[in-house]
Amino acid sequence: MDPGLTSLVGITLAIGVPIISAAITIIICGNAMAGVGTEKPELLSRLIITVVLGEALAIYGLLIAFMLLSKLPSITTIEAAYKALISGAIIAVATGSAGAGISYCGTSLIGATAEKPETFSSNVIGVVLSEALAIYGLLIAFMIIGQI
Amino acid sequence: MHKLKAIVYEDDIDAVIRSLGEAGVAQIIDLREKLGEWQGVLSQYAGSAENAAKCSELLSRIHVSFEALGAESEELPIAGAPFAEGTTKETLATVEKRLAELPVEALRKCSEIISRVDQLAQAFDVKLDEARQAASREPFKESFEEVEERLDEIEKGYSTMGFADRKLFVDRIKTLSIDEKSQLGKKLMEVKRFLTEQQETMAKELATLRRTVETVQQTLEAETKISEIREDLFTLQKTAEREKQVGQAEEKLARTAKTIYLEAWVPEEHAKQSVEIIKKASNGNCVVADELASSSEKTPIVLKPAPKFLAAFEKLVFSFGYPAGGDINPVNILAVTFPILFGIMFADVGQGALFLVIGLVLTVLKKRIALDKVGDIIRYLLISSEMFMLLGLSAILFGFLFGEFFGPSGLIHPVSLGRIGPFFIGGFEPTQEPMKMLRFAVLVGSLHLGSGLVLKFVNEVKHRHFKLVPVPLFWLWLLFGGLYMWAFWGGISNISKWFADGSLMLVGFIVLPLALVLMSTAFAEGFMGGLGFSVEVFAETLSHTMSYSRLMALGLIHSAMNYLFLVLGGVEHGYFPLASIPMIVIGTVLVMIIEGLVVFVHTLRLHWVEWFSKFHTGEGIAFKPFKIT
Repeated sequence: MDPGLTSLVGITLAIGVPIISAAITIIICGNAMAGVGTEKPELLSRLIITVVLGEALAIYGLLIAFMLLSKLPSITTIEAAYKALISGAIIAVATGSAGAGISYCGTSLIGATAEKPETFSSNVIGVVLSEALAIYGLLIAFMIIGQI
Repeated sequence: MHKLKAIVYEDDIDAVIRSLGEAGVAQIIDLREKLGEWQGVLSQYAGSAENAAKCSELLSRIHVSFEALGAESEELPIAGAPFAEGTTKETLATVEKRLAELPVEALRKCSEIISRVDQLAQAFDVKLDEARQAASREPFKESFEEVEERLDEIEKGYSTMGFADRKLFVDRIKTLSIDEKSQLGKKLMEVKRFLTEQQETMAKELATLRRTVETVQQTLEAETKISEIREDLFTLQKTAEREKQVGQAEEKLARTAKTIYLEAWVPEEHAKQSVEIIKKASNGNCVVADELASSSEKTPIVLKPAPKFLAAFEKLVFSFGYPAGGDINPVNILAVTFPILFGIMFADVGQGALFLVIGLVLTVLKKRIALDKVGDIIRYLLISSEMFMLLGLSAILFGFLFGEFFGPSGLIHPVSLGRIGPFFIGGFEPTQEPMKMLRFAVLVGSLHLGSGLVLKFVNEVKHRHFKLVPVPLFWLWLLFGGLYMWAFWGGISNISKWFADGSLMLVGFIVLPLALVLMSTAFAEGFMGGLGFSVEVFAETLSHTMSYSRLMALGLIHSAMNYLFLVLGGVEHGYFPLASIPMIVIGTVLVMIIEGLVVFVHTLRLHWVEWFSKFHTGEGIAFKPFKIT
């Protein structure tokens, strides 16, 4: 395969999948937040964390895509191109799973907080740990790019 | 924290609650959930329901009166002192009596009648101004009821005399032939004259009524000063509102046949004062016990208030949870670490300076704008004005370390603060040397987590959990031992060496502290508890430290996003062409809003999850004294 095309596919994965997962997360959590906001608007300032963490997924993808883009002129061998492809795939999978975690835990967190605001501090852990998954993927993708 | 228990005779309970509310020193305990513990001795105190209904009725009547005067109660500069007469019921009765005595009702009636007269005149098609001259100048003798009766009669006459059918009548005449018209002409003239006469009488009568009512209104207005009525109304409103709050507080109480049982939390310095208040307000018809709270009970906590300029940080801590009893209140420490972590991710001299300016402007505005008159978002911004300044300062500082001015524009050369082993503190551009940035992020993260562990140590000492006191120390050993190993063997990619050449070091820095953590927690909480906790310690040390690599990720993203707009604007090697300014303005606005929010939430999350999980459970309850406002 052509090195240029392979690394472009990597870039597409790195920016495309995180954006889709961020969008799905924001759609799901934003919906739930809007519902709670009609009853208890004072909770929204805390619950916004779910939406913003979802948005951060897209930013991680942006970072990897940006770094790959800056490396693009130096990718000449097929080996380097595979590394670019793999790092894009890693961030895609990582943000996808983080997005699933945030969507599920986030809506539950929002619903539970509306009923019992004092449970927020323990329930938020599910959301932030899901988000940490994306960071792990980001680190490894980052290290692979460092080797190109 | 003291716990007051009091039994008060039922007629005096209103006065007791009112005085406690005025003093605002006691938090009344809700007894409704605990009634089961008393096995039927106490029942719920439901006497306040009737009073609550009365309060709402009076308040809405007062509100209507305010509207009749054309004044909003909020606009009043005067402060009417509320009064009280024994029980709530008696006080409310007095309020009602005084409300009925006020001339507001009569004034309202006057304007109502005048507008009705005007409406009738319009329907009649009569001009009141002309009839005014002819109106009799008799003094007003009738009551309002009679005036209204008279108006009813006039209205009835209007419909019977055929004024309403006039159009029909005219239409019918139009259809007649000329002969018929001339025959009818005479009769029509008569009808017309009759109608005109009637109209004139009506007009005269209406004008008379209007004049008399106007006179009454004028005399009433002359006799009473509107401002005085308003002051009276305001006093009544205050009184009714106060009784309403008293009633709401009383819902928490429990009763026996003739007495009311009351429990309240009181801080130590106010305990004696509160006992005196209860005794005085109930004229001695009470039994009061002042006890220390038992250790098994969850007592509310009074915290030393944080300095006013840290109000925003206080909100961030308390929206996670209130510090549990005896724990350190992390607000002051958070006010230092929060800007630092934010600054690392948002490092930029130019945008930091913008934040500083925004903070300064908001601080100036805060003094001029009343906080309760603005929307939610503006209020949050105003409250956090000082926080903006701190965040901006920190962003400027780290902007110098990483050489960022509206992105990596090359205008500022990175300033190095030194080097600890493989950790560089500043002196590099994150986008050029991301690994240095990663190491820096891990170092900062370890230090942050370390500070959390030190606070955990202090908490354990304060709670006198001496068996658990060494745990945070061993944990610190593990954390910094692991960090040292990571640095010594050149990162995680050489992990195979950890087990070969570095096996002794591995035992000393990781296995030994973990075993010690296991031993000390097993000693305090049993073996299984200890095992679970040590696994948790190991996993948390790894994952929480790794989580701080987001400092690098978001720092790079910030820099990369700015770089994008620099490239679009054509900035090269620190030279800003004039045409690049619009592009930079757009980029800065975007970055400061979107990126600022993301970075803020990540800073918050690092504190809430990674940092707080070490020492701040957030399970405390705030002491909220019952205070009548």
